Amino acid sequence: MHKARTVFDRVLVVVGVIALWQLASFSAGAYWVPAPWPVVQALWAMAMSGELARHASYTFQAAAWGFLIGGLPGAVLPFILRRMPRLSAILDPYLVGGYGIPKLALAPLFILWFGIGLESKIAVVASVVFFLVFFNTTAGVRAIDAKLVQMARLVGASEWLIARRVIWPSAVPFIFAGLRVSTPYAIGGAVIAELISSNRGLGYLVQLGAMNFKTVEVFAAILAITLIVIGANALVNGIERRLLRWRPAHALNKDAASGGM
Amino acid sequence: MTASAPLLEIDDLGKRFASRDGRSMSPWVIQNLSFSVSDGEFVTIIGPSGAGKSTLLNMLAQTDAPSEGIIRFRGKPVREPGAKLSPGLDCQIGYVFQDDTLLPWRTTIDNVLFPLEAQGRLDDAARARANDLMKAVGLNGFERYYPHELSGGMRKRAALIRTLVYDPPIILMDEPFGALDAQTRVQLQEDLLRLWEAGRKTILFITHDIAEAIALGDRTLVLSRAPTHIIGDHRIDIPRPRNLRDIYAMPQFAGLYETIRAQVQ
Repeated sequence: MHKARTVFDRVLVVVGVIALWQLASFSAGAYWVPAPWPVVQALWAMAMSGELARHASYTFQAAAWGFLIGGLPGAVLPFILRRMPRLSAILDPYLVGGYGIPKLALAPLFILWFGIGLESKIAVVASVVFFLVFFNTTAGVRAIDAKLVQMARLVGASEWLIARRVIWPSAVPFIFAGLRVSTPYAIGGAVIAELISSNRGLGYLVQLGAMNFKTVEVFAAILAITLIVIGANALVNGIERRLLRWRPAHALNKDAASGGM
Repeated sequence: MTASAPLLEIDDLGKRFASRDGRSMSPWVIQNLSFSVSDGEFVTIIGPSGAGKSTLLNMLAQTDAPSEGIIRFRGKPVREPGAKLSPGLDCQIGYVFQDDTLLPWRTTIDNVLFPLEAQGRLDDAARARANDLMKAVGLNGFERYYPHELSGGMRKRAALIRTLVYDPPIILMDEPFGALDAQTRVQLQEDLLRLWEAGRKTILFITHDIAEAIALGDRTLVLSRAPTHIIGDHRIDIPRPRNLRDIYAMPQFAGLYETIRAQVQ
């Protein structure tokens, strides 16, 4: 009942946005703001010709590899640092500093280092994702209930079992908060790195369309990016819901550290 | 009662804490505290708030080191001076905390089985024992529920049988029923007594409720204010099995209550 209502309201919002878009197209002129229908047609044509798949898969590859290369150490490092308080204290200001750097400003540097191929895009995405996941996971490792660890020790659990059965599960919600926040940034990071310098990818399509004054293609590429972000988000949320079935419903969707583009 | 050697002996125990910078020591929280417990005895401990009751249990459970004094288990000191602590003394000492400390990501049955998994003793006999205990406290049917789906009383029962399932000879309980409503509390006290009478573990049960201390215990120890030591040691000669719902009407009850209340001040 409640859920059906929400879906209905969402459809209403989509209709409203399309109407506003159409209105903007009328008043500004179809050249500056192409109408929704031609944009959908252009996207459809790109999908049919296989061009969309080629560019989208390139962007998706950069995002996925960057997600993995940045996210994995971001999720594991806090557990190692938990056992090494001295090293943790030494590294802390540098990690905070690294979190503060606008990663997109590093993109030209990564292109110099790694070339205009996939590697430089992966580097941008990884540098964004790493810090988001790292700080969320660190918050999770710090939030562990000391009483649960004490209980586990009392019943004879080894440190390894405590790490796997007590500390890891209690940090998983925080890791997922980091991943959830990172998902749009990962795709956005890949797209913007492609905007700066590339000959493939959805960011390149946006750039190419703008250079040729074909706003329809720009809009179509942006629409494709949006759809991919929504899909990736749904995927991460689905995995999270499966893994965190044990949580009371109201505990989901906790706020997470974000930003860092 | 047989005149067997005490299972647990606490001799001149003392505790004070180092300050944050480690250069000075706090005043004594516990000092010259001695008592002994024989096998199968149910000892309740009562004292004013701030009397270091939890500190005492932590030292007995080997999660905190005493500043002075000796703890002996079956006649042997539990720890060489300067040696590392061994929490739970090799699973010989169970601990039921004030909070239920259930792992929120495990179902009820997996929580109950956790100690056996930790000790590498998870076999069919262990599972059968866990199921029997679940039945004994009325948790059957709730095996697959997560802790947040259970009531406070059910979570307490789960925490209690999680300790019973691996059969430690000594069980420490730190005000386990403090946060429950009166009705649930009596039910849990009855469950505890029934399980204890079936297995006769040695229990050290901390409470701030004088009636609870008398209702459950073979003996009640009264703690002083800090520096904490024992100021009263009362044998509770109310016959078992006891009916907790009309124990207040027992002729011995009022006298014991008055004596203990006067000491707890």
